[in-house]
Amino acid sequence: MPSYFATQADLEALLARLIAEGEVVAPVLDQGRNILQTVTAATIKDVNLAGYRTVEPYKSYVFKLTERVATYFTPSPAGQNRRLVLFGLRACDLSALDVYHKVMDEGEPAYLVVTADCTACGRTCFCNMVGGKPYAAAGFDLNITALENGYIIETGSPRGEQLLSPLPPATDDQLKLQAGVRNGTEAQLETVNQEFKCKCNINWTEAHRLNLENSKAWKEVTKKCVECSACNFICPSCTCFLLLDSRDEGSLGGARDERGTKDENSRHKVWDACLKNGYARVAGGANSRPKLFERLQNRYHCKFDYSPTRLGRYTCVGCGRCIDACAGNIDMREVYAELVRQVPLTAKLV
Amino acid sequence: MSCNGKEQYRPVKARTEKVIIETSNIKTFVFRPEEPLSFLPGQFMLVTVPGIGECAFTPSSDYKQKETLEFTIMRAGSVTGLIHQLQAGDTVGLRGPYGQPYPLPSYHGKEVYVVGGGVGLAPLRALMYGLNHEIDQLKKVVVRFGSRSPQDICYRDDLPSWGKRKKTDLVISVDTAVPGWTGNVGLVTTILKDDDVDVKNAVAVVCGPPIMMKFVNKRLLDMGFAPKDIYLSMEKNMSCGIGKCFHCNLGPYLVCKDGPVFTWEQIKDIPEPW
Ligand code: SF4
Ligand code: SF4
Ligand code: FES
Repeated sequence: MPSYFATQADLEALLARLIAEGEVVAPVLDQGRNILQTVTAATIKDVNLAGYRTVEPYKSYVFKLTERVATYFTPSPAGQNRRLVLFGLRACDLSALDVYHKVMDEGEPAYLVVTADCTACGRTCFCNMVGGKPYAAAGFDLNITALENGYIIETGSPRGEQLLSPLPPATDDQLKLQAGVRNGTEAQLETVNQEFKCKCNINWTEAHRLNLENSKAWKEVTKKCVECSACNFICPSCTCFLLLDSRDEGSLGGARDERGTKDENSRHKVWDACLKNGYARVAGGANSRPKLFERLQNRYHCKFDYSPTRLGRYTCVGCGRCIDACAGNIDMREVYAELVRQVPLTAKLV
Repeated sequence: MSCNGKEQYRPVKARTEKVIIETSNIKTFVFRPEEPLSFLPGQFMLVTVPGIGECAFTPSSDYKQKETLEFTIMRAGSVTGLIHQLQAGDTVGLRGPYGQPYPLPSYHGKEVYVVGGGVGLAPLRALMYGLNHEIDQLKKVVVRFGSRSPQDICYRDDLPSWGKRKKTDLVISVDTAVPGWTGNVGLVTTILKDDDVDVKNAVAVVCGPPIMMKFVNKRLLDMGFAPKDIYLSMEKNMSCGIGKCFHCNLGPYLVCKDGPVFTWEQIKDIPEPW
């Protein structure tokens, strides 16, 4: 798809147009880190496309912490339809949204996607270990690369093309600068993750044969886990939820049954976390993962072992947020590297 | 019912028609949904207590009876406790059916060995209706059922008649007898006899508490059943029922979508699947 060159003023004009038509969430620099914020006319200048991902995942704008998904037995109220623009998300967050949509299977998402290349990676970034890249190759309406003196904007869809006002095509020299940014970040990722000496590509059939489930390694990591579920909640590609019902007090105008029960109830889809003890417990109390190490292990299996079977892909995108968030200092890369050491014949060393 | 439309989480309204007391902690509820809901034996549905929540159960009625659906439910947790308080006339919600039915056509020409325990008899009752509709295509149906005591047996009025159905052989055993019980005494595994069925041309269908399934499965393997011929009903925590919330995972499978019935062949490599 075509690439254009935009100045800072062009970028701000684009943001102003997007804000006029809906909600725009984008990275803003705060104490040296990118945090995710809703952009207003007053904060357009604060939007920062350099660096790497935001502290918080973009998922919470698509997969809400809590969302009413049904009312019964009254008609569903009409939803509101303001356009949402996910602006400046990185390749890892885009990949995580792909996970969400694969799992939920609810049709084409309605929001616009404006991705941004990572111009540097973070200390905990490891997209390169799970087969990712620090820039998006597809799946966006627009993609932006921040250069020293402007931006390269690539269109990825007819919708994206329509968002742009006329801009000059990027020159060969500008495209070379873009390639330089991308290669630079990729090289930085290799350096940052050098010590782990592995990719996250264990052959799980072999791992099961070696009875990796009973490995001491799991019990060791578990000692550090305080079961706070921060890793679950901060993870852009954790999509577990629970349905919770509530009774509405007369707002929806429902009827009453023979015994006077009102027909006004709501069902909510609420984030859930597989590390919580009650997660797999059934009525009557039986629990298929009563021990914390089993739950911790299940999280890794879910992301690297089961998801390839269920969804045809990993459900860890290597964003490193769980490493930043872990109260017990558990580093997923270290855990994985330990597993690789235990399944030596099958994991490809780099 | 749709698994991805806007209404995917919305239950269909149903009226409680009748409540039958089966045992001290098990009741059968007859629900009449406002819209027709049909299922096949082995599939499950989610029963909503309005404003409180849902629980997954396999209907226990005949799938050909379309107007009403029956659910046999043990009081086990908070939602089932509230379900047990339902009376005729009360409103509930039903969502489903979900999951894979028993592959009945693949049982044609074979003997079917049905083994159950406790409230596991509920899904097996739906299966028994299904088998009975196709009895001419089956060689025979052998039912072995275990219960804690005679008082804990569900469908007491109906159950003895199962054994009188065409080509059907039924034995019930209780763990602890009481005066007047003339049947077998002992765990269900003690009434699984090598000459009950021709294992080379039979399938086994098992439903019951996890611990019972574990031992029955072992016994069936010892009897010579092939892992692909043993069908097990797995119970896991469920929320969405449609493969999205991941609560029900069993190794790489989602019980709500890939199950709830699995062959031993499918799950034998999962550590402690029960
Ligand atoms: S598991 Fe950790 S590194 Fe992987 S996607 Fe989730 S938060 Fe990011
Ligand atoms: S994980 Fe990769 S794509 Fe994500 S922020 Fe870090 S470098 Fe960028
Ligand atoms: S119950 Fe939600 S995925 Fe199975």
